[in-house]
Amino acid sequence: MRRLKDPMLLVLFASVAVLMPAANYMVFLYAPDEKVMGAAQRIFYFHVPCAVVAFLSTFVMLAGSIGYLWTRRRVFDNLSRSGTELALLFCSLVLVTGPIWAKPAWGVWWTWEARLTTTLLLGLLLAGCLMVRRYAESPEQGARLAAVLGIVAALDVPIIYKAVDWWRGQHPVVFGPGKKDPLAPEMRQTFLFSLLVFALLYGLLLALRMRVADHEDRVRDLGESMAGRGGAAA
Amino acid sequence: MSGPGALRAAWIVAAKDLRLEWRTFDALSAMLLFSLIVLVVFNFAFDLTTVREVGAAHLVPGVIWTTFAFAGIIGFARSFQIEKLRDSLTALVLAPVDRGALFAGKAFANLVMLVALQAVLLPLSAVFFDYDLVAVLLPLALVVLLHTVGIAELGTLFAAVAVRVGRGEALLATLLFPVSSPLLISAVKCTTAVLDGKGLGTVRHWMLVSAGFDVLYFLLAVLTFEFVLED
Repeated sequence: MRRLKDPMLLVLFASVAVLMPAANYMVFLYAPDEKVMGAAQRIFYFHVPCAVVAFLSTFVMLAGSIGYLWTRRRVFDNLSRSGTELALLFCSLVLVTGPIWAKPAWGVWWTWEARLTTTLLLGLLLAGCLMVRRYAESPEQGARLAAVLGIVAALDVPIIYKAVDWWRGQHPVVFGPGKKDPLAPEMRQTFLFSLLVFALLYGLLLALRMRVADHEDRVRDLGESMAGRGGAAA
Repeated sequence: MSGPGALRAAWIVAAKDLRLEWRTFDALSAMLLFSLIVLVVFNFAFDLTTVREVGAAHLVPGVIWTTFAFAGIIGFARSFQIEKLRDSLTALVLAPVDRGALFAGKAFANLVMLVALQAVLLPLSAVFFDYDLVAVLLPLALVVLLHTVGIAELGTLFAAVAVRVGRGEALLATLLFPVSSPLLISAVKCTTAVLDGKGLGTVRHWMLVSAGFDVLYFLLAVLTFEFVLED
């Protein structure tokens, strides 16, 4: 039986616990003020890593969904479910931090621009996947239907992005082809460090969520085997 | 015993659904009535003066596709509710044919119903919003057909999911609208171009994307439908 002292978890936990305050120090004290946007720009160091992690988690969901339909092994379903939940969590963080920055920078809270719209629709799709799981008659049925939806949703994201991009465009493109690096070295270091810390945080949350899912499975199995035994005795 | 080929099986399923619809007019009458009401409501929201100021080309596409998407939900939900009533879904699943063929049949029947709905909805919108339908009939028909195919595919797949978990229109709408948003954006863009009197050439990239979308989601649904039907 696995104990709490899982070495991978411990390492992840320790590194996040140490590095997250360091990242905060860099974001608020080390990185210089941006010329035009001032302090508001600092939310960029949280906003962008959250967005990267949200989309990464969507791919985790896609991989888990395909794996589950292919092999029917529970571990893939747990991966898909954990990926969906975490993607929704980080998606929500992106959708909260974005408008906080947009109000001072653009003068509006929200605009129907490609990345914003894609993130919002992604959030709705992820919520739909979780809803189907909740409504399903059995965990197996929920896993199957959510896997189908997860695949459809993940493949839809690039299409939504391209469609809204053609429809409108306003989001600042900081990194992109034909752009010279706009970040001061301190900003770049802070951003990359922040990205690393958020990736570690994601790894930690995913590992924890997978463990919880695994425990839920075992409790259910135990419950079923107890019920089976009780039925045999009676 | 081997069943019919995939194409024939799909046709049998589609013919069954369409025959049922032809004899009862259950789904179509509900969809038509609903669309009519939505159109009238939109007409209150934007009266003719507003329509003339903004220009029909900029207002009507949004109205048409919104009405159409909501009315479609009714039809999709119904196409699987009738299978659930006497558990005929089980009989359908027991049929010795490929699950993809069942999907193709269901989706085709839904497509035919949606096109029939559009055939009534478009003239009605021309009457209410005063634009020249006859002048743009051919390109408009092409745009409508191209985008309706994708919506029918997604609607059919998600209706099967919704009926499996015992939820109807609410879940269907939650799933369908975000996923079909690129298709709806494209539909509005293309319809605007057509009503504006510009050729379809100006929206060629949208048409191509929609065609790609139609193919991608057909393949995806054919591949995943068996997992939805499984019990």
